[in-house]
Amino acid sequence: MLKKLLSGLLALSLTIAPHSVLNSSAKIENAGAVLPSAFGYEPQDEDERGLWLQMDEFEKKLKHSKLLVKDPKLNAYIQRVLCKTVGQERCASTRVYIMRTPYFNASMAPNGMMMVWSGLLLRVRNEAELASVLGHEFGHFENQHSLQSFRDIRAKTDAMAWFSLVPVVGSLAQFSLMGSLFKFNRQMEREADMIALNYMSSNGYDPKAAATIWEQLRGEMDATAKGRKQKSRKDMNGGFFATHPNSKERMEYLKDAAGDKGNAGFRDGAAEYRAALKKWWPRLIDDQIKLNDFGATEFLLEQLASNGWTSDLLFARGELYRARGRSNDFEKAIGFYRKAAAKRDAAPECWRGLGLALMRSGAVDEGKAALRKYLKRKPDADDRAMIGVMARASK
Amino acid sequence: MTALRFFGTVIVAVLAFGLLSPPASATWKVIDGGKKADVAKEKMSVTPKQDWNRSSQRPSPYGELWTLDGFSLNELSFFAAIPSGKAIYYNYQTKNRPLPKFKSKMLLTDLAELFESTNRIVLQTSLFDVSSVEPTKLAGHDAVRFQYEYAVQGDELKRNGEAVAAIINGKLYLVNFVAPAIHYFDRDIVKVRALIDTIEIAN
Repeated sequence: MLKKLLSGLLALSLTIAPHSVLNSSAKIENAGAVLPSAFGYEPQDEDERGLWLQMDEFEKKLKHSKLLVKDPKLNAYIQRVLCKTVGQERCASTRVYIMRTPYFNASMAPNGMMMVWSGLLLRVRNEAELASVLGHEFGHFENQHSLQSFRDIRAKTDAMAWFSLVPVVGSLAQFSLMGSLFKFNRQMEREADMIALNYMSSNGYDPKAAATIWEQLRGEMDATAKGRKQKSRKDMNGGFFATHPNSKERMEYLKDAAGDKGNAGFRDGAAEYRAALKKWWPRLIDDQIKLNDFGATEFLLEQLASNGWTSDLLFARGELYRARGRSNDFEKAIGFYRKAAAKRDAAPECWRGLGLALMRSGAVDEGKAALRKYLKRKPDADDRAMIGVMARASK
Repeated sequence: MTALRFFGTVIVAVLAFGLLSPPASATWKVIDGGKKADVAKEKMSVTPKQDWNRSSQRPSPYGELWTLDGFSLNELSFFAAIPSGKAIYYNYQTKNRPLPKFKSKMLLTDLAELFESTNRIVLQTSLFDVSSVEPTKLAGHDAVRFQYEYAVQGDELKRNGEAVAAIINGKLYLVNFVAPAIHYFDRDIVKVRALIDTIEIAN
């Protein structure tokens, strides 16, 4: 039973599990009701108090997780985008935690704890796209979808059994488990999407960005499938997608609803987003490259390079091709490393990659010369001893 | 899921995916200290100074697992003669999370990169860092020694590891030791290095 449960949940986590949708009937305010986003809100009844208590415990442990990205500037930035999206007063009721996990996901707990995975930050391209995800998660929180789900589940099963499944430490499986406990039905997903769209357009973010995310994710799924010679899962239904609108449907109704919002000088905040993430790109891309998903990584790099190939991006592309190592890959990698190395801000690792790719392609002496350049630029490199031996000129 | 260890994690992940029935409880065999023992289907032999415990669980058709006190405290794995085109571990998730494959033309530095990528995928973590990559010998052959550290989601105890890898006759040979950074790694790594020095590789 547990095996089956975990199987479903893990599968869920590895599917694209973002949330972002809308419905024209959704409302931001529940007339007369006190919303959890209101200042000083307290859980209203036994069910809600129980949920909050569990989530508060979880959050305490989460604060000590090694997976947390603690960079204060990045955290402040993400929180700022949430606040710009939903308004200063409302956002004070939430805490955002960035997790170093290389998949696209975000989740929201009923006590205002939001988790954003680093893979999501790699995939969204501007503030408006980020706002659509944050706004969507906030919509689940504000409309108390998890409480509704809990009551629904509890009506069918034993509450203690439910609580025993609440995660106590933050593992990937457990995050997914939480996602499943707070699994929202299609109606809720649409509602949260609509809330996000309303917030975005009210606060100046381009609501078209919500559909764009789905377009990109569908493209990425195609790219993964192509790279692995599999059938794309972008139009899969059933399983995870049984309770979620499928990505095509979601993309289409988001596009329609965004069209209704007009085009009143919305911004997308692409430059601000790039600046805020600049320091993190190399690490996030490196995490992605090491997932051994050539198609998706190439797709993401091309997306990131839509404003031009920087040295970091060219280097990453070289690393990607060198890691795959098929017949022409080393020649291509060499080209990318050379271009990366020619840029003014090139990292020393460009010469490392170039040297190793040259050696793999048979140009051993040239490769050794590049490795020596790497060591000259980075004499304290972690791999200096090994590279030093490999770089010695042939006698 | 609190005391996840290296392959324990693989096994938990595999069970969770429902792709493998729970193994009949692993059986153990004591490897006597001071005697030469064949490992990894007799492709290698090693003469440990201490007694070790060999598990019947295998991380791949080419490997085997030893421990002193249990996998969560110290885990030593041997892989011998992995052919070109094969992954280091059993590849349970070929569709969703295929593992990178060893290629006989790889450079020694590539082996550390292959190991890192493989383990990031299997352990589902991005907190995995390789450091101090240096040249060494394995049974007289040119080899690479690298150290690494990682933490797994859900079991955030920091673990340290050290591995030695070489390509001999186009095949991959790898010995890997991993233990909690607190106490156990430092306590046992000296024994492991001495043990690796006794490795002989069958022709």
